[in-house]
Amino acid sequence: MAAIAQSGFREPNLLMKMASRPTAMAGLLIIIAMIVLALLAPVISPYDPAQLAVRNRLQPPTWQHLFGTDDLGRDVFTRVLYSGRTSITVGFAVVIFASVVGVFLGLLAGFFRRLDAPVSRLIDAMMAFPDILLAIALVAALGASATNVVIALGVVYAPRLARVVRASTLVIRELPYVEAARALGVPTPVILVRHVLRNLTSPLLVQATFIFANAILAEAGLSFLGVGISPDIPTWGTLISVGRQYLEQAPWIMWFPGGAIIITVLSLQLVGDGLRDFLDPRLAKDI
Amino acid sequence: MKRIALAVATTAVALISTNTSAYAQTNGGIIDVATIGEPPTLDPMASTADLVGIITQHMFETLYTFDAKWGPTPLLAAALPTVSEDGMTLTIPLRTGIKFHDDSVMTAADVVASLERWIKIATRGKQAGEVITGIAATDDSTVTITLSKPFAPLLALLSLNNAAAIIIPAANAAQDPLTSFIGTGPYKLKERLPDQYIQLVRFDGYQSLGGEIDGYGGARNQYLDEIRFVPVPDPNTRIGAAMAGQYDYVDQLPVEAFQQITDGATEPVVLAPFGWPVFMMNTKEGLNADIRVRKAIQAALAPEDMMLAAFGSEDFFSIDAAWYPDSFSWHSEVGTEAYKPLGDTETAKALLAEAGYDGSPLRILTSRQYEFHYKMALVAQAYLEAAGFKVQLDVVEWATLTTNRADPALWDIYITHSPFLPEPSLMGIMSDTSPGWWATDAKHAAVEAFNAESDPAKRAELFVEVQKVIYDEVPGYKVGNFNALAAQNPALDGVTPSPWPYFWNAYLTE
Amino acid sequence: MIRSAFNRIFGMLIVMALVVTIVFVIVRVTPGDPAAVMLGPDATAADIASLRQRLGLDASIPQQFLSYIGGILRGDFGQSIFLNMPVTDALWQRAEPTFFLTVFSLAIATLIALPVGVLSAYWRGSAFDQAATTLAMFAASIPSFWLGLIFMQFFAVKLGWFDTSGYGGPGASFGERMHHLVLPAVTLGLISSALITRFTRASMLDVLNDDYVRTARSKGMSEWRVVVKHALKNALIPILTVIGLTAALLISGAIVTETVFGLPGVGSLIVSAVLRRDYPLIQGALLVVAGLYVLVNFIIDMLYLIVDPRVRY
Repeated sequence: MAAIAQSGFREPNLLMKMASRPTAMAGLLIIIAMIVLALLAPVISPYDPAQLAVRNRLQPPTWQHLFGTDDLGRDVFTRVLYSGRTSITVGFAVVIFASVVGVFLGLLAGFFRRLDAPVSRLIDAMMAFPDILLAIALVAALGASATNVVIALGVVYAPRLARVVRASTLVIRELPYVEAARALGVPTPVILVRHVLRNLTSPLLVQATFIFANAILAEAGLSFLGVGISPDIPTWGTLISVGRQYLEQAPWIMWFPGGAIIITVLSLQLVGDGLRDFLDPRLAKDI
Repeated sequence: MKRIALAVATTAVALISTNTSAYAQTNGGIIDVATIGEPPTLDPMASTADLVGIITQHMFETLYTFDAKWGPTPLLAAALPTVSEDGMTLTIPLRTGIKFHDDSVMTAADVVASLERWIKIATRGKQAGEVITGIAATDDSTVTITLSKPFAPLLALLSLNNAAAIIIPAANAAQDPLTSFIGTGPYKLKERLPDQYIQLVRFDGYQSLGGEIDGYGGARNQYLDEIRFVPVPDPNTRIGAAMAGQYDYVDQLPVEAFQQITDGATEPVVLAPFGWPVFMMNTKEGLNADIRVRKAIQAALAPEDMMLAAFGSEDFFSIDAAWYPDSFSWHSEVGTEAYKPLGDTETAKALLAEAGYDGSPLRILTSRQYEFHYKMALVAQAYLEAAGFKVQLDVVEWATLTTNRADPALWDIYITHSPFLPEPSLMGIMSDTSPGWWATDAKHAAVEAFNAESDPAKRAELFVEVQKVIYDEVPGYKVGNFNALAAQNPALDGVTPSPWPYFWNAYLTE
Repeated sequence: MIRSAFNRIFGMLIVMALVVTIVFVIVRVTPGDPAAVMLGPDATAADIASLRQRLGLDASIPQQFLSYIGGILRGDFGQSIFLNMPVTDALWQRAEPTFFLTVFSLAIATLIALPVGVLSAYWRGSAFDQAATTLAMFAASIPSFWLGLIFMQFFAVKLGWFDTSGYGGPGASFGERMHHLVLPAVTLGLISSALITRFTRASMLDVLNDDYVRTARSKGMSEWRVVVKHALKNALIPILTVIGLTAALLISGAIVTETVFGLPGVGSLIVSAVLRRDYPLIQGALLVVAGLYVLVNFIIDMLYLIVDPRVRY
């Protein structure tokens, strides 16, 4: 673990390094492209994603409707673009939520000896639940809405992050300059932010990328099981769960959002994998 | 348009009913029936769910049942009841020598105990219980029911297969929940593995009423050795299973799958019309407590687009303002002018302005348990917004919906559906306590007159009055008629399309 | 060592207590009413209220918590409201498909992952390695239900090689039941092979650079023997650990896959319990699944403790 702290990681040339690895770079470019497509959806598509045209339903892909139309006559291409906004936002929000909670818990456990045992036990208890199972139960308890899906998935992934943070903090805490700062009477919060958090950026970044990917998959899974985001909010997951009943008649409704998920998640994994290799070769072994 | 759709629908039924009895009925065989899910119970008194009725009607029987024209006809009773002059006493003669699955013989005591259990625990029994003052065995094969006032719907309530007035041995009548599933039906329970199958086998001691087959009435032949009900909750999986020919009968398919089923290994079975989707209005609290807002909604909705979105093609639904389609004696077009197939946004706007609508959101409570509810909600939202409403769709799970609709503070409209019930007083809207809580003097006058009359022809006329009040006061909005689709093995014969399919009289031809 | 063992047991008990509390809180917060679901669409409010009372749903929260804890201590996980049978029986009845689904998908995943991982490591940086690593990531990027639905459409509906759903009727033979598991196991196996591939590759890379591998090579041993006998043998322990971990992860996969294929396993039981608001069943299932996880971890820790007494907790 010592390697994490020593290697310092304020790599100015991260992008350059990424460029040296084509798969990671490709992943990064695709993600950026997906985000841009989602943001520019209104510019790219002439259609309104919610505009019903019941009489024009289940049309196969044409130049007019690139991805065809769905069961209510809405343009699937437009819906995939707009869904990208929600799906990516949900994934990102889960990362933020999980990071805030995870870092907080991890720092508490790693830095304050007295809190280590109780916080670690809580983390152990949370991690005893399989992730989808815990998410289903939490969403059922909180009610199915985008916010609650974010909270549920955040709660699911936070302990995983907390573990990584705790382990790293335990090491960083013992570093000479941290001990020196403590001896000099620098207030604990300042030490935590200035020394500990900075050293945590790299393991966090790697974890965050994978959580991002997992969150997008998990959101789709919850929507499929009917315990996720309300289907009137288009996400890739809800598009698939609506489209599955037309898998035979109009397979395009399900194929395209599925493809969008695969592309996005794959790119995120490629980036995560690349980051892990550059930032911390040692971590490459810990899944 | 309506005429064409109905004509198509009627032909579908005709086609299917004419090809029965083309082959000689043979004994033997096992069929697998794919149902929409696992029933919450096998006690048909304890639930109003259609699924419970479909399965348990093979195991349990009621005193009366419905004939092919949805009129009551005797089943365990020997004849229709004799009604006293004042309409307050019904004398029911029982068939003798009827055996339960445990080989004991049904007596009047069993019937009394069962009916008493029914008015105590069954939702529909309690409804009847309000006017029933006594149930007594006059002799071994006669039961007398006394009422506090004439109550015409009683016979229909006794005939229905959900929250059903089944006859069980008196010894089991105290069980709640029911644990011994002993009835008099043609098939008896052999094994139940939840979420896997419910296995029913032929009951050798069964005594068929005999005579001609007449809907649920008349002869009940036990050609099949065994009937297995397999829950397949996902509709798309049911479509796939039907196409692959995995089951002998697949219930409740999305109607749009008609072409796929036709191309697959099983034959489509169309029940047309099956029932109505309805938007129930909360007349007690919130926006819809104001009748003018409800009138505006009535004007704004465009049933044609709603039905098209929900059911895909005009082959599978019809636009019909009358609460009952013209195959029922309750059918009438009188008083239905407010129903506009394409909606009337301008009128709706005017009505809404008149109501002084303040722009607070109209909350539509729905779920995706039934995909067509949700699709109708989406289209309704578009039309309501065009008329100036602000609409909030609350899409929840079915479990949450059934809880939330009981709370008047939580919703303005909720969406539900029902098969065409043989007796209009069974409709939720007729009761003051069902969610929606419609209770006005005009309603009470119309409904009470309807319930007190026993002559069928006069009742049909009185129902017209009820329908008028419904259109005047808009406690609910009937969207249209829709068909149901099932699929069956080409070798399976003798199944009559029905909202609650039954498999006595069914046989395999190979 | 004894002290360590006690610490560990104490820690495990605390974790268990936390698990039990978390489960109770989650389940009680859940809105929706099992009574309303059971009674059907036309039930009246009064009917629902009386059924709630019978089911003990109207007791106060502390009361419910006490009887819940009391039940667990007696090994009584309550009665499933919907299925009307003890929760433990319901779970036990569903254990078989989930167990075999897990075993088969793990086997499929391992059969794919082990050779691919070993060869990737051996030909590190080669086109094969790049392709295999990217393919593994691709597999891990596919939503399992999406893949399952497409498999079902093609192999079951179009080709008719398998039944679309279920686990066989009454009296289905073992072979027939296993036949129903083929598609779900392939779906789940393909997707979970990614993790094992990646891990096998990493462990093999570590070992291939070790001294004894070099020594073996210098002794003129054939490459095949070097890789399989020496390198793989030494990398096997971490690989087995990750296979074990994957097995624990598979219950999550099983939840979705069982639902897609209508398998009556523990996973689909849990989903339907949530949709039916069958509180005791959700509670019991969460407890059993999480409890098993804690126990297995505990046993592994204790084994380490026995093997290597220097380990401290």
